[in-house]
Parts: sequence; C-alpha cells; structure tokens
Amino acid sequence: MPTLWLVLIILALAAVGYVVGRQRALASSGGNAKLLHSLPSYYGANVSFAVIIPAIGLLILWLLVQPAWIQNRVADMIPEGAIPEGATLGLVMSDVERVATGLNLAVEQGAMSEEDASSIRTEFTDVRQRLGEVGVALGSNVDAPVLRAAQRYREMSATGNTWMTVAVLAAALFGFVSSLAVTKAGFRARNTVERVILIMLMVAASIAVLTTLGIVLSMLFETRNFFQQYPWTSFFFGLEWAPDFRGNSNLSIIPLLWGTLYISFIALLVAVPIGLFAAIYMSEYAGPRVRSVAKPLIEILAGIPTIVYGLFALITVGPLLRDYFAMPMGLGESASSVATAGVVMGIMLIPFVSSLSDDIINAVPQAMRDGSFGLGATHSETIRQVVVPAALPGIVGAILLAASRAIGETMIVVLGAGAAAAQFDRGLGELVNPFEAMTTVTVKIVSQLTGDTDFAAPETLVAFALGLTLFVITLGLNVLALYIVRKYREQYE
Amino acid sequence: MNDMRLTERAVDSKDVKIAARKVQVFYGETHAIKDVDVDIDDKTVTAFIGPSGCGKSTFLRCINRMNDTIDVARVEGDIHLDGEDIYNPKVDPVQLRAKVGMVFQKPNPFPKSIYDNVAYGPKIHGLAKNKAELDEIVERALRRGAIWDEVKDRLQEPGTGLSGGQQQRLCIARAVATEPEVLLMDEPCSALDPIATAQVEELIDELKQNYSVVIVTHSMQQAARVSQKTAFFHLGYLVEYGETGQIFTNPKDSRTESYITGRIG
Repeated sequence: MPTLWLVLIILALAAVGYVVGRQRALASSGGNAKLLHSLPSYYGANVSFAVIIPAIGLLILWLLVQPAWIQNRVADMIPEGAIPEGATLGLVMSDVERVATGLNLAVEQGAMSEEDASSIRTEFTDVRQRLGEVGVALGSNVDAPVLRAAQRYREMSATGNTWMTVAVLAAALFGFVSSLAVTKAGFRARNTVERVILIMLMVAASIAVLTTLGIVLSMLFETRNFFQQYPWTSFFFGLEWAPDFRGNSNLSIIPLLWGTLYISFIALLVAVPIGLFAAIYMSEYAGPRVRSVAKPLIEILAGIPTIVYGLFALITVGPLLRDYFAMPMGLGESASSVATAGVVMGIMLIPFVSSLSDDIINAVPQAMRDGSFGLGATHSETIRQVVVPAALPGIVGAILLAASRAIGETMIVVLGAGAAAAQFDRGLGELVNPFEAMTTVTVKIVSQLTGDTDFAAPETLVAFALGLTLFVITLGLNVLALYIVRKYREQYE
Repeated sequence: MNDMRLTERAVDSKDVKIAARKVQVFYGETHAIKDVDVDIDDKTVTAFIGPSGCGKSTFLRCINRMNDTIDVARVEGDIHLDGEDIYNPKVDPVQLRAKVGMVFQKPNPFPKSIYDNVAYGPKIHGLAKNKAELDEIVERALRRGAIWDEVKDRLQEPGTGLSGGQQQRLCIARAVATEPEVLLMDEPCSALDPIATAQVEELIDELKQNYSVVIVTHSMQQAARVSQKTAFFHLGYLVEYGETGQIFTNPKDSRTESYITGRIG
C-alpha cells in the first residue's frame, strides 16, 4: 500500500477518534459536560493524538530504517569479483537500486509481468534493453549478481512494506482502542493533551539544536581528516595561502583571516555610525509619520540579496572608488578592493545596526529622558549622556551581531574585493592598503570546494578547517553579544 | 482633616514667584486645564490636590514647559516667573528648566554612578570650574537631599542600586544641584513606603528655606503636613486656592469640602 494512503487512513482514523472520543466522554457523564474533568473536545483530541503519534512515529522510523537494512542484507549478495575496476560497493549498490526501480516501473506499466520481473535471468533476457523500453536508462549491461540482488531488493522491499502497513495500522488501532478505553468522565484529558503539546514543542526545539550539533560534528570530522594530512601549526601560524592540487600547498588561515577582519572592519566603520545615527533619528527625533515611512525603507536594505549588493560593488562602487580615490592618490588601479567590499558590506549592515539599536533605544524608559529634560538638558545632551549610555550594552550587542554577519559574508567579497589572498611577503604597505584586492575565508571555502576536486586532498579538506574556525569565531561573537545583551537587561528596572 | 493646629500656622506674606493667568492646556482634542489663575509664593510649599485626572500634574508640567516634550500638548495663557513670561518665544525652555527643577513620581536615577547622577546638571550648565568645585557641589546637593550620610562612602556605585526612598532623595539632590529657584514635585512619595515618605517630607520642609516648592499629591494628609498653601483642582478647573489651614478646615467651595471629607475623588 502506498505510504500516502497509509497516512490518509491514519488521519481518517484520528478524525473518527476525535468524534467518538468526544461522544464517549459525554456519554460517560450522561450528556452533562459540566461533570467532565475537561472540555469534551480534549477527550477527542486525546484519542486523535493516541492514533496519530505512535502510528506516524513508527511510519517515519520504518521508512528511515528499512532501506538501510535491506541494502545491508542485499550487499552481501554482491561477490567481491562483481565490483568492476575503479568502482566501489556503493556504486554497484546504486546500480542495484536503479535496476530494482526499473523492474518496479516495468511491472507498473505492464511491460513485464510480476513473475517475469522476479524470475528473469541475464542469461536469457537483455535486461538493459527491456528496462530502456520503460524509460530507465542503464549505463552498462546488467550483471547476473546485480540483477539477482535487484530482484532480492524488490522482494525484501515488498515484504517490508507489507509489514510496515500492518504494523503502522496496528499501532493506530491500538492507540484508538486504548485511548477510548480510558475515556471516562474522571479522566484528565486536558492535562494529557497539555503534556503532548509540551512534548511536541520540545521535539521541535531539539531538532534545531541537534541540527547545529550535527553541522559541528560533520565539520569536526572532516577537519580532523585535514589535520592528519597537514600540520596544524602551519595552518594557524603560517603566512602564505598558496593551494596547489599537485601537492606542496601552503594552506595558512592567516592571510584569509586578515582579509576577513580587514573587510569586516571597514564594513563596521561604515555601518555603525550610519546605522546608529539613523536609529537615533528614527527613535528620538522623527515624527510618527516620517518614522512609518522611513523605517520600512531602511529595512528594505536588509531584504536585498547579497549577490545584488555584489553587483552594485562590481559595477558602481568599485570603479567609483578606483577613479576618484585610489588612482588620484596612487594607491592602486584595481576596482576590486578591500574598500569596495567593505563599503558595500557596510551598506548592507546598516539596517541590522539601525533596526536593533532603534528597538533598544526605544526600550530606554521615558522617565530617563524626562529626568534629563527636567534638569535643563537639551535633546542631544540627553541622548548623548543618558539615552545612549543606558542603551549602550544593547547597541554593542547589535554591532557584534552585525560583525558576525560581516565575517560570514561571501558574495559581496567575491565581486567587490576579488579572490586573491593577502600576501604577507609583499610588506605591510600592501596589507593595510584599502585599495588592494584581498579575499576572505568564506570566498576561499567556496573556491576550494567548487570544481572537480579530490575530496581526500588537504587542498579540499582545508575548507572544513576554515569553516570550523570561522564558525568558532562567529559563535564567540554571538555568545559575547548575548552575554552583553543579557547583562544590559539588568541596567534599569 | 480636623487638625486645628493647621489654622495657627503662620504664613508670612511673601513675593509672588509664579503668576499664572487664564492657562489652558489641550492634549489633542482634550481640554485638560481650563482657565487656571494662580499666584505661587516664593519660599513656600504649595500643594496641588485633587482627584485623579483633574489636571494638577498637567498644570505642574506647564511651569517648566515639560509639556513641550509631548507632541500633542498645547498651552495657552500666561505664566510668569519673576515677572517674565515663560511662554515667550524668546525664552529657551532648556534654560527655564535649569531654573525650575523637577522631581518625578517614580524615582528615575540615571543608570550612572551616584556621583554622576548629581553632577549631571552642574556639568551640563557649566556650574563647576574644576573637579574640586564639582565635588563640592555634589556634596552640598547630597546633603540638601538628606542622603549624604548614606551614600558618601559609595559615590561611585550605580544610583539604581539604592532603595526606592534613597533613589527619590537622590533625584531631589540631583534637582537641587543645578541651584533652581523653583522645585516642582509630581507626587514624589507615591512610590515610597511610609518611612521614606516621612524622610522626603522632612526634606521638603527644609527645602522651602531656599526654594519655592510646588508639590502635587494624592494624599491630603501629606498636603496638610508639608504645605502652607493648597490649590484644589477638579475636572481641569482650579476650584479653590488658599492657605492650607483654611482649605482643610474652612473650605469656601462645596466641591472642596466634598473632596477633603472624602465624598468625591
């Protein structure tokens, strides 16, 4: 039975359960809802939950486990000799799955009878051609072991699916019957439903947490592989970034980290004053009408895709900075520069800083302002000496969040600052020249992983080490921001 | 109030500090203050009493133009401070507020140190030439606020860490540090416990040596205890204004009598 039908049956059973549970509860109190512990709908919901949760849970678990289990069993049928030169068991197994799908399709379309599908032999039938007729193209002729494995795969899936249907329906029915059995006037259905909702919310929260954990673990695993092939001292303390897929690469994070920090610094130099001043204007001076128009307009900046900012950097800001600043000052001739990426990234970050700071400044109690006005302070004195200091920890939090955005930014850098790593051997002058092309950690992660790469080489694996380092840095910034924001909450009552 | 001693309280005739004529205040469409005429004496405590929403706080905020900070508020009529119209366009409200200090209902110390809270006004107005002078001003203000002994050893600790009563006395000290001529107090004791209230009331009594104090209060007992003159507001009108003893023992208007005997309010 297709899974969709199974789900529909469960849902139908749950709907029936709702109605029956409700009625049964009412009947048990003689039709007087006031004698029930909970509202009648809670009894219905309780039955529905008892049907859906175990059945769907079992279904999901089964669908996750069954393919892996079958593959494991079928893989034993492939002899060592059947694996062609240069291929792996995994590749052969994907062939097996493909043939099995093809056979299923052939049976469905009537090109093959059920018996044919399970009894054909490579010795008598050109399986490749027969499957080609139903639209499943195979790269090579089908070997006898592969065909037999595929047939076995089909058989086991079919049996597995039957058992799954039986088990899931049994679970649904069991839930239905057992929950109906306890549905009586005294049963605390409301509390049970409450607990089920709590558990559902907890599951949702833990999925997010577990995903983060999974990301970190996968990065850790690959990073360990990298450090087995490349000394960590050279990675963290070397001064040159020169990957070479033929070997002998210099893979140091320092030149990339320098680019990241320099560009982020310029971005913050642009974003923090503009964003902060905009926030102060919006929250302290602007009237409600200006505010209702200007605030969404500023926040539109946050909705522009970064690649569009990158284009802006590439065709407008880059040439502008080159023609009016870099060339006249003799600092460089490239449109791709740290300054270009930094300025454009700063523009991107303005809404982050302004929007968060605006909220924080608004949260400063009016009593603080009144106190200051009452002492004869002007508006700007009040802002400078009372409002901003009171909001400062929150503003710092906003800035740190913006900083972690800047550090992770890729597209603007590729288009604005180029893809050449900073070169420490050319001297300090070039390192600190904002009109020099430079690149960041994230750009190099992309470039090391794109293209036809060997996933066992340190030149590729370095991407994971870079990613993990960056993750640790931004995580640190976020923790710092959270800490500061939390501390700020205690500032005034 | 049947405290007969009140009638015996001496009220010297003094100079008029604030003179208000035909003051009207509008909050948008709402007419909050209607035709208020009042003369407030120098070196006197004047209490504004009346039921909630009668406009006493609104009128208080007219005297230092705090209503200017509310967009929808509009003030008409004349208020003269020492004979000068404070709503004259030539008058800078910021300068005015330095002369007319204000203490708010809820203690609102800045999230700064105790020292910086008090030094805030003098710094803004350039009252101290150097650090030593500023120290002196801060100490004098804290002494006048009757809180010096409690905080002298922890001037660098945050003002928000003090108890409610201490915070309010700190706010009073902060207000007197700028050497105002008038001190406006908007229900200064409503957030305080009885002991702190007693301390603040004692302080108000001392402050009248130097300042003209105007206090808005919900507590008639408090008005009777601390003030020499009382104004009764009702529905935006100034119903009756006179010596405190007379208002509480022999009110001329029936509404005043109803209020002080607890029948309205």
